Amino acid sequence: MVVVPEFLIRRVYKKGSLKKLENGASLELKNVLGPGFISGFNFVKINDVVFEPKDVKFITGGKELAGDCVSEAEPVAFRLGQEGLLIMSGKDCVVQGTNKIVIEVMNPEAGKVQLTVDDTV
Amino acid sequence: MEISFDKYSLIIDGKRVFIKSGAFHYFRTPGYEMALDRFMKMKAGGYNTVDIYFNWNYHSQKQGEYDFTGVKDVRKVLQAAKETGLFIIARPGPFINGEVNAGGLPFWLLKMEDVIPRNRIGTEYRYSEKYMRYIEEWYDNIIPIIRDFDNVILFQIENEYATDTMEEDYMRTLYKMARDKGITCPIFHNDAYFAGLWADVVDIYALDLYPYINPNQNWKQDNFCFDTLDNVEDIFRNAKENSPPFIAEMQSGWFDKWDGSGYKHIRDALGDEHINIMTKTALSQGVTLFNHYMVAGGTSWDDLACDEVYTSYEFTAPIDEFGIPQSNFFKAKEINYFLDSFDFTSTDPVPFEFSQENIYTKLRHDNINNCDWLFVRNMNKNTADLEFEFGNVYLKPYDMKICPVNLKLKGCEIEFSDVEIFARLFDEDEEVLFMIADKNAQIRLKQHGIISGDRKDFDNLTFENQGKRTQFVFLTKHLADKSWMLKDKLIFNADYVLPNGAAALERNGDVAYYDLKHKFAKKYCVVNEFKDYHKPEIIENFDIDFCAPEIDLHYDYSNWRKIGSETDSLSCGLYDEFVWYKGQIPDNLEEITLSARHLFAVYINGKEVLNRNSYKIEKLQEVPETISIPLDKHILSEDINELTILVQNLGFDKGFSGDTNSPRGLVTFETRPQVPVEFYVCEKLSIERGDLRESDNPYLTKITVNFDIDFKNDVFFAKYLSLENFWYRRATIFLNGVKIGRYIKRTRVQDKFYLINEFLKPHNTLEIVIWEKDRNIKSPWGFKSDMKNVIIQIGTQKMYQLFK
Repeated sequence: MVVVPEFLIRRVYKKGSLKKLENGASLELKNVLGPGFISGFNFVKINDVVFEPKDVKFITGGKELAGDCVSEAEPVAFRLGQEGLLIMSGKDCVVQGTNKIVIEVMNPEAGKVQLTVDDTV
Repeated sequence: MEISFDKYSLIIDGKRVFIKSGAFHYFRTPGYEMALDRFMKMKAGGYNTVDIYFNWNYHSQKQGEYDFTGVKDVRKVLQAAKETGLFIIARPGPFINGEVNAGGLPFWLLKMEDVIPRNRIGTEYRYSEKYMRYIEEWYDNIIPIIRDFDNVILFQIENEYATDTMEEDYMRTLYKMARDKGITCPIFHNDAYFAGLWADVVDIYALDLYPYINPNQNWKQDNFCFDTLDNVEDIFRNAKENSPPFIAEMQSGWFDKWDGSGYKHIRDALGDEHINIMTKTALSQGVTLFNHYMVAGGTSWDDLACDEVYTSYEFTAPIDEFGIPQSNFFKAKEINYFLDSFDFTSTDPVPFEFSQENIYTKLRHDNINNCDWLFVRNMNKNTADLEFEFGNVYLKPYDMKICPVNLKLKGCEIEFSDVEIFARLFDEDEEVLFMIADKNAQIRLKQHGIISGDRKDFDNLTFENQGKRTQFVFLTKHLADKSWMLKDKLIFNADYVLPNGAAALERNGDVAYYDLKHKFAKKYCVVNEFKDYHKPEIIENFDIDFCAPEIDLHYDYSNWRKIGSETDSLSCGLYDEFVWYKGQIPDNLEEITLSARHLFAVYINGKEVLNRNSYKIEKLQEVPETISIPLDKHILSEDINELTILVQNLGFDKGFSGDTNSPRGLVTFETRPQVPVEFYVCEKLSIERGDLRESDNPYLTKITVNFDIDFKNDVFFAKYLSLENFWYRRATIFLNGVKIGRYIKRTRVQDKFYLINEFLKPHNTLEIVIWEKDRNIKSPWGFKSDMKNVIIQIGTQKMYQLFK
């Protein structure tokens, strides 16, 4: 576990960006921490619904990446200030009111990084 | 010394001072002489400050005991800095990181009841009164020493600290403790997250910046790694408006790990471009206090290293582990001299637009020299010839320049130049600017036109205006590397110099001197002491002894300490690298199951049944390993069988992202069927405990080598032991009884070990304790016989003669 305080990691999530999609959800991230790489999407969990990497799509820097295609060998650069859209598909998960979101990614230097936030729809 | 600051810079005794600091670990470069040597090289290279971590653990091996004597005499280190004319940045933790064992926290503290190291568990804040009382004890011991030195200009509390909730009472208490104990200089903290953390608690906000922390990364290709640095001025201004931009740790190298790629790879990857870009970009962001982390590499001798790093903490620093200036030192020197030539302590950003792919630019107005400086960086793999409103800038790939705009000199004015300024000597009426020749660059002078930078060494041009004179003297990069500015003179053609003017040479050569009064002078220096020292000597005469009587059957361990069911080293109060466990087991056992950190072997009745390296890190996490050993009547040959376990602990976690008190030694032990086993414990290898009995078993074998050193006045040398052609798996190296290295063949990251000058004597004994696996030992006699062919080499890394 990396010792990056939660309150700093939470800043990466763009508050109010959670959207209900047909059979899925989307949310937005902005890297305000520092330049780096994402070397894997472990999972995204919205309320009690868990999305495996294959069900996650990350759109950033003009590229659309399937979550299971991001790995230590094929990391995706995530620059300071860069934004990204995460799309989860295959399951309904967003509810009216408060939603609990957990995103776990891998970083080559920090290891496992987990972001936990609440967002209201 | 009165120290204040404003939003631009530190102000010492009423004068703005640009702080050019380098981090130095006195514990990894032990003793006054070695500290003095590194400090003198720093000073000659233009640094004016040394940053010093004070390692609590190094000074306090037992609760309530503090050792500041011998090589641990930190007063002498601070005295050496004072004698050299360096300011000091004091960083006594309590936590320091620095890849030292347990991050510098004393071992005795790690598992004490009611003590929560750093007042946090993971990122959760948990305040511990008892922990605070022990910090007070540390501060009571270290602060009076620090306080005795009036060249201490800054004091840091904690290091790289954060919690989820950011309660401030811990940090505020540390601040108050420091003040109550007499610290009067500004206090800061080093924010690893560059998020303005603790800015309200301290006087000056500071952060650390390491754009390259993954040796597998190609920083030239992934050049966005400088994103944070490129915007750091905003971070500083948002964090604390009225404190000067201070990079408390600015990358000048990087550490290698047991599973790393070796320091050569890192040094090659960083080159001297990285330190150039880091430092100049920091200047472009208004930074007036920087600390190159590290300025001098060191050696994690004894048990200094955390589990992550091996013996060499070379860090690819400007001055390497052996004390030899490297190419990044020469680059740092160039920038330091430039900063000595033009006061950069008060600059403001000027709006400036320029957009081209992979080109970074910044324009700053200099309030002191009343000119502008254009900073330009080329992160393209090709050269760049860039056209600006002021003039063109020619840049090699991954290069960065600081170009003066409308710089008024004594005898002329530079309208624009992309020929870089190396150094400047000046008095009231005259100045000499030493410029780095660059065939594609030029200087445009007001009223005099363009001067080409395509020059040979010492080409010069003079301009006069109203009785005042400016002379440009050109130096090629090669000569600039060997040129040294000392106060009012330059010394040329020296490998390095010392602040007293002594020039160090590896080979015969002409050393030239220049000052405004005497102009040029030359001296031919003959280096006649050195033979062909580059060739290491193969050691042919050595003694071989079996040195682990602990493993022998019927070894008397009655004076060892009996322990309870918790066998890990912290629970047993045993913190040494090597811990022995002995006990008895009955003959009806089918299996034993154990987990140990990090390397261990199990012996039953004097015979090895398992030898294992259990050190494994995956995704930055320790991978726990539990191993079962099936037993049978061949192994359990007696009614009551003697069990011996030797565990080598490579160090505790450094505490940055893991817990400092993760268990080491024998972590778990079970038998099937379950029977209680009473363990007796002892630490250290027998030779360290003075138990010199030869043993019957060959598992730990000692090679003893004697060699002499011919110490000569005015000669600097660095010697090493090479195990390049060594075929054994593991070894621990002792020089005159001091543990100076750990060798593990599997990792291949280090096979050359610095024979630390502080521990060298005219007559030396080197002991190499080899810990080998049973399967590699055919018979004790055969093993000893094979060992006679082992190749051990002692060599000289560098030798310089000093000419005064």
